[in-house]
Amino acid sequence: MTLTEDERWALVDRISEQVIKSGTYKQSLGDVLGELTVKPLTGIPVAVGVLYAFWSVFGSFAGTLCTDGFFVKFFDNYFLPWIQSVWPNPDGILYFLFVGDPNATNCFEAFGVLTSGLFVAIGVVLPAVFIFYLMMALLEDSGYLPRLAVLVDTFLHKIGLHGYAIVPTILGLGCNVPAVTATRILETKKQRFMMMTLIALFIPCGAQLGVMIEVIPESIGYVMLFLIIGYFVFGYILSKIVPGENPEILIDVPPYHMPQRDNILKKLKMRTGGFLLNAVPFVLFGVLLVNLMYLFGFIQWLSDIMAPMFVTWFGLPKETAGPLVAAFLRKDLAVAQLSVIEMTQYQMISAVVLISIYFPCVATFVVMLKEGWKELLAAVAVLLSVAFIYGGIIHAVGIILGVA
Amino acid sequence: MTVSLSCMEYGTQGVITEIKKYSRELNALGIRVGKIVKMVTKQPIKGPVVVMTGEVVVAIGIEMASCIQVNTDIDPAYIRDK
Amino acid sequence: MKDERSMILLIGNPNVGKSVLFNRLTGGDAVVSNYPGTTVDYTKGTVLLDKKSYTVIDVPGAYSLEARDKAEEVCVKMLEANKNAIAVIVLDATRIERGLYIALETIERGLSAVVALNMIDSARDREISVDSSKLQKILGIPVVETSAVSGEGLKQLGDMIRKARPSNIKEIKERSEGKEIQPETGSKCPGCCGGCGGV
Ligand SMILES: Nc1nc2c(ncn2[C@@H]2O[C@H](COP(=O)(O)OP(=O)(O)OP(=O)(O)O)[C@@H](O)[C@H]2O)c(=O)[nH]1
Ligand SMILES: [Mg+2]
Repeated sequence: MTLTEDERWALVDRISEQVIKSGTYKQSLGDVLGELTVKPLTGIPVAVGVLYAFWSVFGSFAGTLCTDGFFVKFFDNYFLPWIQSVWPNPDGILYFLFVGDPNATNCFEAFGVLTSGLFVAIGVVLPAVFIFYLMMALLEDSGYLPRLAVLVDTFLHKIGLHGYAIVPTILGLGCNVPAVTATRILETKKQRFMMMTLIALFIPCGAQLGVMIEVIPESIGYVMLFLIIGYFVFGYILSKIVPGENPEILIDVPPYHMPQRDNILKKLKMRTGGFLLNAVPFVLFGVLLVNLMYLFGFIQWLSDIMAPMFVTWFGLPKETAGPLVAAFLRKDLAVAQLSVIEMTQYQMISAVVLISIYFPCVATFVVMLKEGWKELLAAVAVLLSVAFIYGGIIHAVGIILGVA
Repeated sequence: MTVSLSCMEYGTQGVITEIKKYSRELNALGIRVGKIVKMVTKQPIKGPVVVMTGEVVVAIGIEMASCIQVNTDIDPAYIRDK
Repeated sequence: MKDERSMILLIGNPNVGKSVLFNRLTGGDAVVSNYPGTTVDYTKGTVLLDKKSYTVIDVPGAYSLEARDKAEEVCVKMLEANKNAIAVIVLDATRIERGLYIALETIERGLSAVVALNMIDSARDREISVDSSKLQKILGIPVVETSAVSGEGLKQLGDMIRKARPSNIKEIKERSEGKEIQPETGSKCPGCCGGCGGV
C-alpha cells in the first residue's frame, strides 16, 4: 500500500505530534547572526565585507607573504642559478626542456620543466590554492553560503538562474571541476547547462587567480571586472536563447555552525593533496609539452596562422596564441606564459580574459563530458563563439578608450 | 485578514491557509497549510522572501511566495501553544 | 552485482549529517559542509559490522522521492537500483517533521530500514525533546539517537543496522492512531520492537 501525498503528510503530522516536544524557544546568538546576515540592510554590507576580506587575505597570503616573501627569492636567487650551473650543456635539448633559457634571471622567463614548472606549481599556485581552500572551507562550514545565495538571488534570477547558483560559482573559484558537478543542485536542464557554460567561461580557478595576482597584480581587478560583466551579459543572453524554464529560488537556510577544526583540516588536506597529486604533474608535463612544441615549430606555426585573428580582431601580439595551447592543460601555466610576452597593460588584460574564457581546461572538459555529451558540445559551441565575440568587444572597448 | 506571503510585513506572523501552486515543492521544505510562518526578511527589487516556520528557515522566490495565502489575524496565545 | 543485502544506503534530507555518518562508519572522506546539496553524487565505502562486511553508499540528500533536481534524481536512482539494500534513514532531530516524509516514502518502498535520529546534540541545546522509543514503536523499525559529529550513538547504530527490517505503512498508520496491533508485531519482529527500546 502506498499513500497519497496528503495522506503521507497527515501521517507525518500525527507522528510528529506524538514524538516531538519543543521547549521554550530561545534565540541563540547564531540565530540572531543568521537573521542579520540575511536581511538586506545589514546583510549586504556584511557580504561585501566577507568577499573583500576573502580577497585581501588571498592576495596578501598567497601573493605577498608566500610567493614574493619566500618562493621568488628562493627560486630566483638560489635555485635557478644553481640548476643553471649544474645542468650540463646549455645548448642541448635536455637543457632547453628542463632548465630553459640559460640567460634567464627569473623563473617566469626560464620556462623549463624544473624551473618555471616547479616555480609556478609550488611557488605560486600551491600557496594560492591552500589559502583559497582554507577560506572556502570556512564559508562552507559556517552556513554562510545559503545566506549569500538569498542576497544575490535578485541579480542571478535576472539572468535565468537563481541565488543558489552562487554555490557552484564559488566552488568554481576554487576549481571548476567540482563546480561543474555541483550544478546538479539546480532544478532544470536549462539552468544546469547555463551554469556549466558560465563556469567554464567566466570563472577563473584558484590556481589561475594565484598566478594572476602574482604576475599582473595591477591589472587583475580589470580582468575580474571583464569576467563579471561577461558572466551577467552572456548569462542574460543565454537565458533568452536556451529553451527551458527558470524556476525561482526555494532553499533551506540552515542555522550557523561553528566550523569544526577537524573537518576544515580534513578538507584542506584532501583538496591541497589532490592539487599536489594531480595538478603539479600536469603543470610540469604542460611545460614539457609546450617546450617540445616550440622545438618542433608547432607554436610558431600556430601563431602565424592565428596571427590575422589575434592581431586584427583581438588586438593582441601573435605570440599570445602560444599560451592557448598550454591553457587547455592548465590555465595557471598559460597565464604565467603570457606574463613574459611583451605587450601593453590593456593587451595583457584582454589576453588573460581570453585565456580564461576560450576553452575549459582538460579536467573540466572531462567532467563536463560526464554530465552529458550533448550539453558539452553545445557548451563548446557557446564557448568558442563567446570567446570570439567578447574578445572583439574588449578590443573595441580598448580602441574607444584609447588604450588598446 | 488574509494576505499573500509576499505581502506580509517584516516580523509579522500568520497561519498558511492556502497554497495555490508549487505545493509539492513547498511542502517538502516544511511550508504547508496550517503552519505558522514568521516573515524574517524580504529582499528588495522583487527578491526572495525569507520565512521561518518552527525551527526551519526557508528562502522562497517572490512569485512562489505570492501563491501562498496567509491569515494574519491569529491569536498570539494560539501561536504560543503550538 | 554484490549481494544487495549487504548494501547500506544513507537516505534523508539534505544537510542532516549523512556524509558525517558515512565518514564515521567507513573512515571515508565524503565532503561535509553546512549547506544543503553538498553531496551531489554517490560515494561508496565499506564497513565491518559483527564480522560482516557491508558496502555503504552516501547518497545525495532529498526532500522527497519525487526528484526536484539532479542530485535528488541520483538518490531515487540509488534506491531503485538497490531494492534489497538496508536504508539508514537519517533524520535531523531538530526538524524531524520534514525528514519523516522521505522516511515514510522509503519505508513504503519496502526497504529494510533503521532510523538514525541525528543532531541529537543540537536538539538538546534547543530544548527539543524527542521520544525516540515512541517513534520506534510507531514506525516499527529501530530508532537510534546519534550525534555524528561527536560520535555519540554510533556504536548502537552499527548494532541496529543488523536489526533493520521492513515495516508496513498501514500498520504505522494504525499505530499512529493509537491502535495496538500486538499479535502481528510480536510475531514479525523478534527482538526488535520490544528489545531495543532503551537507546
Ligand atoms: N551539531 C551537529 N552537527 C552535525 C551533526 N551531524 C552533522 N552535523 C553538521 O551538519 C552539517 C551537514 O552535514 P553533512 O554530513 O554534510 O550533511 P549531508 O546529510 O551529507 O548533506 P547533503 O550532502 O547536502 O545531503 C555539517 O556542518 C556537519 O558538521 C550532529 O550530529 N550534530
Ligand atoms: Mg552529504
